[in-house]
Formats: sequence, C-alpha cells, structure tokens
Amino acid sequence: MTTVSVDGLRVSYGKRVVFDDLDLELGVGVHGLLGPNGAGKTTLMRVLATALHPDRGDIRLLGHHIGDPSALRQARRQLGYLPQAFGFYPRFTVREFVEYFAWLKEMPPARIPLAVDRAIERVGLLERADDRMKHLSGGMLRRAGIAQAIVNDPRLLLLDEPTAGLDPEQRVQFRALLRELGLDAVVLVSTHLVEDVVAACTRVNLVDGGRLVFTGLPDELMAAGGDGDSGDSPIERGYTAVLRGARTVPR
Amino acid sequence: MTGFHVDAGVLAAYAEGGLADVDAWSVEAHLDRCAACRTSIASDASTALVVEAVAVSLGGRLPTQGRVRRATGWRRIRVLVGAGPAARTAWLLSVAVTGVLTAGLAVSPTVVPPWLLLLIAPALPAVGTALSYGPRTDPLHELIAGTPQGGLTIVLWRTLAVLTVAAPVAVLAGAVTDIGPPGLWLLPCVGLTVLTLALGSLIEPAYAALVVAGAWAVVVLAPPVGGLAVLVSSGPGWLGVTAVAAVVVYVRRERVGRQPA
Repeated sequence: MTTVSVDGLRVSYGKRVVFDDLDLELGVGVHGLLGPNGAGKTTLMRVLATALHPDRGDIRLLGHHIGDPSALRQARRQLGYLPQAFGFYPRFTVREFVEYFAWLKEMPPARIPLAVDRAIERVGLLERADDRMKHLSGGMLRRAGIAQAIVNDPRLLLLDEPTAGLDPEQRVQFRALLRELGLDAVVLVSTHLVEDVVAACTRVNLVDGGRLVFTGLPDELMAAGGDGDSGDSPIERGYTAVLRGARTVPR
Repeated sequence: MTGFHVDAGVLAAYAEGGLADVDAWSVEAHLDRCAACRTSIASDASTALVVEAVAVSLGGRLPTQGRVRRATGWRRIRVLVGAGPAARTAWLLSVAVTGVLTAGLAVSPTVVPPWLLLLIAPALPAVGTALSYGPRTDPLHELIAGTPQGGLTIVLWRTLAVLTVAAPVAVLAGAVTDIGPPGLWLLPCVGLTVLTLALGSLIEPAYAALVVAGAWAVVVLAPPVGGLAVLVSSGPGWLGVTAVAAVVVYVRRERVGRQPA
C-alpha cells in the first residue's frame, strides 16, 4: 500500500498552534504543497519525515502506523527527506555524504555502492562525486541533498523547497526527475514557485493558516481564478482566488 | 538443407581462422547452404572471446569510477562512527589538554592539583558525547533524525567513539593522581555519560551536558566526608546511577537524538 494519510493532526510550538485538526490523503504521484510563508508547509514536511512529533493525530505512512516503533522503523527505511535548510560535514565528499545516508537508511549493503552512484548520477553530480562538500556551490549542495533523499529509492519522498538555488536549466531537469520518481512513489514537493507545480505535479495541495484550503488537480486550481484576481498566470490567479476565498470564511 | 553437418571442432577452428585455405573454402560452401551450422557458429566459444575483448577495451575507455567503497561491515562501522560533527575538533583539543595536565601532574603535584583532573577527566566523555549530536551542534541533525539508524543507534555509536578516546585518558589521570584505583575512574566516566544521554532525551543535549558537568563540579569541589577517593571508589553508587540513567534512555529512546530543533 503506497499511501499517506493524516487524520486530525495537531502541531504546536509552545503556545503557537500551527495545525489544528488537519486531514490529508496522498496517493502515488507528485503532489505540490503550496502556501504563503508561515502557512505550515515546513512543519507538515517535518511531521511526515518523522523528524517532528505531533501533539496529536493519526498518521499512516505507506501503510505503517508511526505510533508503533517497529512500523515506524519500516516506514523510515522507505522515506526520503530533503529539508529546506540542511547542513553538511565539510570534509565529506558528495559520495561519502550520500553513502552515509544509504547506511543510515539501512539499505542492503550489497546494493549500496551502485545505489549511491546512481543517485548522484540522477542529480547530475557524478563528475563532482569525489569533491568535498565545502567546495560545492549552493545549487550543487541542494542537488547533493536530493541525491541523499533518493538513494534508497524511497516510496515516500518529501522535498522542502527543492528548486531553491537551482538555475532554470537545472530546474527543468529536476522536474523531469520528479515526474520519473512520481511514477511509483508518493512525492510531496513544497514550493512557492507555482510554475513548478504546473510543470511537474499531478495534484496540488494548498495550505493557509494551518488549514488545507484546496486539494485537487492543477487544472482545477487554474479554473478557480478569474480575470479579476491578481497574478501573471492562470495558476497564480487561481492561487490568490483560493487564498482570498479561504480567508473570508470565518474559522 | 543437407543431412551432413560440419563437426563442432572444425567449425570452431574455422571461426578462429585456424583451418587451411582449402578446408576453409569447403566449410564456407557448406555454411552457404546449411542454416543449422550457421547458427551454431554464431554461439561458438570464439564469440565469447570477441565479446570479452570488446568489454575490456570498452571498459578502458569509460571514465574512471571514482572512489567507490565496497559495502562491508567494517565500512559501515567506519562510516557511522567516523562521520564526526563539527564540534569534534574542540573536544579532541580538550582531551589533548587533559592529557597534558596529566603529564604535568606526573611531573609535580604542585603544578597541577589532583582535584582538577578529577573535575575534568570524567566529565570529558559526557561533554564530548553531548556535542556529537543534537540540533545545536550536529549540522545534519534534522536529516539524520528521520532515518531508522538515526536517534539512539547513531548516538550510541558516537558515544562509543568518544569513550574510546576519553576513557584511557581518564584512567591515565587516575593513575597519576592517587585518588582511588585508576581503573575505577571508568565508573564516573560511563556514569556521567549515560546520565547526559538520559537528560539529553528531556532537554537539549548541549544543555544536558552543562547540567551534568555543573553538578559534577559541585560534587568535586565540595567533596563528601572521606575525601575525593570516595567519589571514585563508590562502585555500587555509580552502577546505580548508570543503571537508572540507562533505563531512562531505553524508555525514552525515540527522543534520544531525535529531538526537534
């Protein structure tokens, strides 16, 4: 079973409540996660990546209940996660960095060397594979981050702002990679570049103020916008229209 | 088609160019008419030789593969233990300083007071362990927290790495100070380290180390009745502390090394 379901999620940092009773269902494919800054995109990513414990909520990842330790471990083996901001050990080479995560994700040892090189090749960094991380540019670091996320062929891939720092050509290549990954895995991509969503996503989820205010096809989001809405493209107009509609409804 | 087929050995010799011209011509004439012999020549051993030769020459033309390591058990341990956080340098430096202090005491007790070593040496592994993980000191904390080997497993590997370096220094310090038997200096080393791990599942590891090191300083600077030697020699006391802390670590294992930033 390759699905993600979140039921009644509540997350708070101290007194600030980020999510209160959020429900979400994701199937195989590439899902865009849109929303203004501070809407809770990163928080949702961290909860699904099992890096942040929610206050409450029933979460199933790939059929595993994450409340149960052994199921949680199973789920983590099939998970790939790229945080918005991530550090690195400067002395690691790209290959060592990706290899480190292959071991951490408990991949079968026999598969590791090939999987590491394949992941690096898929993000187009093979020529720099033996360079130290501290010598990479910002875009290369992000691609190394994507490589560690996909090294175990995850069935659930969470990418938080993966296109930040990529140049237009790399972004096009990355979208192609996304579509390829989305063929047999659940891929959730948070972004505030709406073009990414149109180009690579099969579905869109829009969060605002801790609520899921829209979920559907990119075409449906485009159709929500009218001529009067602000934005330079149909999807931008749809985005602003849905946000405006959600904000006028009293909570 | 004919009822006659060329002998397999002759066919192989033909394929490798080992037949005399006259024989080769007659084999060729037969091959023109006989599909069965043509097929068997295609799957002949010489084909395998050609394929191998092609593979070798092609392999030579491919770019070098880089430093790919075989995924052995040793490699796994080396990767998991060796992946050090940035704080390692500072900590190794303090271990070195403690070693120098130990040497100083060995030369003369007036240069370095013995209580100073008792204050530092057992607290070093606790501090080193706390610095090796946690959101404040490990740049990869967020990424590692979401992996199955993250959390307690990786923290224990790093604790082991830290203790391997710090424990011998503590025993050495014990040997030159005359405060209790040197081997027993391991007890506070392990006890304070596990205590830090336990506290690190409740508050941030860096703060946990501060609290534990602070408490240790209070105990050492205001020694109990019977002097400093009691601190080292009270084996059951340390075993008790270690056991209780280990239980806390086990119960709260999902929080060890996985605390949100």
